[in-house]
Amino acid sequence: MIAQIRGAAAVVGVAEIHYKRGDAPHGELRMTLSTIVEACRDAGISPREIDGFVSYAGGPNDGAILGAALMIDELRWSNMMWGGGGGTVAAAINNATIAIATGQAECVVVCRAIAQADTGRLGYASYHYGPHFMAHGIGSPAQICALRTQRMLEHDGVPESAMRNLVLAAYHHAQNNATAQAFGRPLDEATYEESRWIAEPFHLYDCSRESDGAVALVLVSADRARMLSAHPAYVLAGAQGAPGGYAERIDNDEQYSTAGFGHANNGKPGVAERLWSAAGLGPQDVDVVQVYENFSGPAVASLIDHRLCPPGRAAAEVLTVENLTVPHGKLPINTSGGNIADSFINGLNLAVEAVRQIRGTSPNQVPDAKTSLFIGGPMAPVVSSVLFGHADTV
Amino acid sequence: MSQDLPWGPAPDGHDRPHWDGLTRSELRIQRCADCRTWVWGPQQICPHCYGFELGWQAVEPSGTVYSWTRSWYPYIKELADRLPYISVLVELDETDGRRVLGMYMGDPNDVPHIGQRVEGVFERADDAPWPLLRWQRAREGAIQ
Repeated sequence: MIAQIRGAAAVVGVAEIHYKRGDAPHGELRMTLSTIVEACRDAGISPREIDGFVSYAGGPNDGAILGAALMIDELRWSNMMWGGGGGTVAAAINNATIAIATGQAECVVVCRAIAQADTGRLGYASYHYGPHFMAHGIGSPAQICALRTQRMLEHDGVPESAMRNLVLAAYHHAQNNATAQAFGRPLDEATYEESRWIAEPFHLYDCSRESDGAVALVLVSADRARMLSAHPAYVLAGAQGAPGGYAERIDNDEQYSTAGFGHANNGKPGVAERLWSAAGLGPQDVDVVQVYENFSGPAVASLIDHRLCPPGRAAAEVLTVENLTVPHGKLPINTSGGNIADSFINGLNLAVEAVRQIRGTSPNQVPDAKTSLFIGGPMAPVVSSVLFGHADTV
Repeated sequence: MSQDLPWGPAPDGHDRPHWDGLTRSELRIQRCADCRTWVWGPQQICPHCYGFELGWQAVEPSGTVYSWTRSWYPYIKELADRLPYISVLVELDETDGRRVLGMYMGDPNDVPHIGQRVEGVFERADDAPWPLLRWQRAREGAIQ
């Protein structure tokens, strides 16, 4: 029998802390521990009950280290999701859900911390790329994503306004979020257009900021969640992966201008369609979206991959500032300001905002939000997304 | 005197034939000895027939621009003095659509477009340990 994922687990505790990059007063381990303790307090449980830890994208502080520091009763689940960048950020939540749904663990924390003092800057992960990239001037995620985005614009016909409007929407939302790094610094179209190029087609404002900080989410079974929280954020579905060979053969993959959520090489459903089918819902049923914007272009590609907006020129009809912003937009995105205007803790901060929308506590609350989508690190070799739902949707 | 640049053959020597090809003004990419499938970037196994006999074959350095970006930020410090520079992803003519990355030479204000014909030029700087294949707009009258 296949274990049922839909509604089996829920996020009942969240915590996030962020600083300007390089400004964290503590290292990654201490920040991780402090957010876990705070997320447990938010959930109303003791950290001793945690029996699982999942992270992604690297970092030395595994489940044994964290479990020992917190002197948990027993460690049952300690997983690192393979894949660099933020591609597996939602997969980490999916992994925690699987542990709970199958009885492998009962209380699983998903966590990630970044302190520049500990790990340097992610955006300068230049020597991650091998000689066949470096020799040709390509040595950063920005440039990798720029090449794919340029084809999405020039060949597929997605207008540049789609990228700009996504950025303007994020900045608009950040003005209502006092903890956003762009709070008090609104962005207008002219300032965006006049900002310096980083790697075309990306302006400065198309690139996520990097922050120091940490994020933790606590997941438990649906039964436990109902006892703990007035508004658990149930995991309705999660999916991860990519078409075979995507973004891992020196730019020789078929679905080059997509974000990686597309169909399998044999034509079977890919990450996005597997997500919808597991949830029993579709893009038309989503109330609010947090989409990982390492850069604006991959975020636009993610929305297309998930059928939240049409491909090509028609994308412009959906991706307007009006449509992407609360309270009137049909596709409100990145309601805390996102990676671009709020903070960037490798994207896990977006999951916290997705949970806030289900709880009704977002700084830009979508009225009566029942379904809240979180899309993880697009254009990475492995990508992922997870759909949260209110109790009414389970 | 040669600079210590972050490119050249992999430590295990796996892609050494590609780099050796550049010293002879050849673009060599992998091709399966059994099923003749073209392979790039360097792999250990043929993705089509799972043969391990991947040979290296010289191909004509000509193709079309599949995508491009112009970099303005010094992500690679060794190339900072070239900014802004243009990188192209070129779909090679003879290789069943395999693509290679390269830098696009000429006026950095003259950006390429997707679908544009390009031809390779071998660049060997005096102080560079390995030559590199660069790309330029295909000349008028060149074989298209």
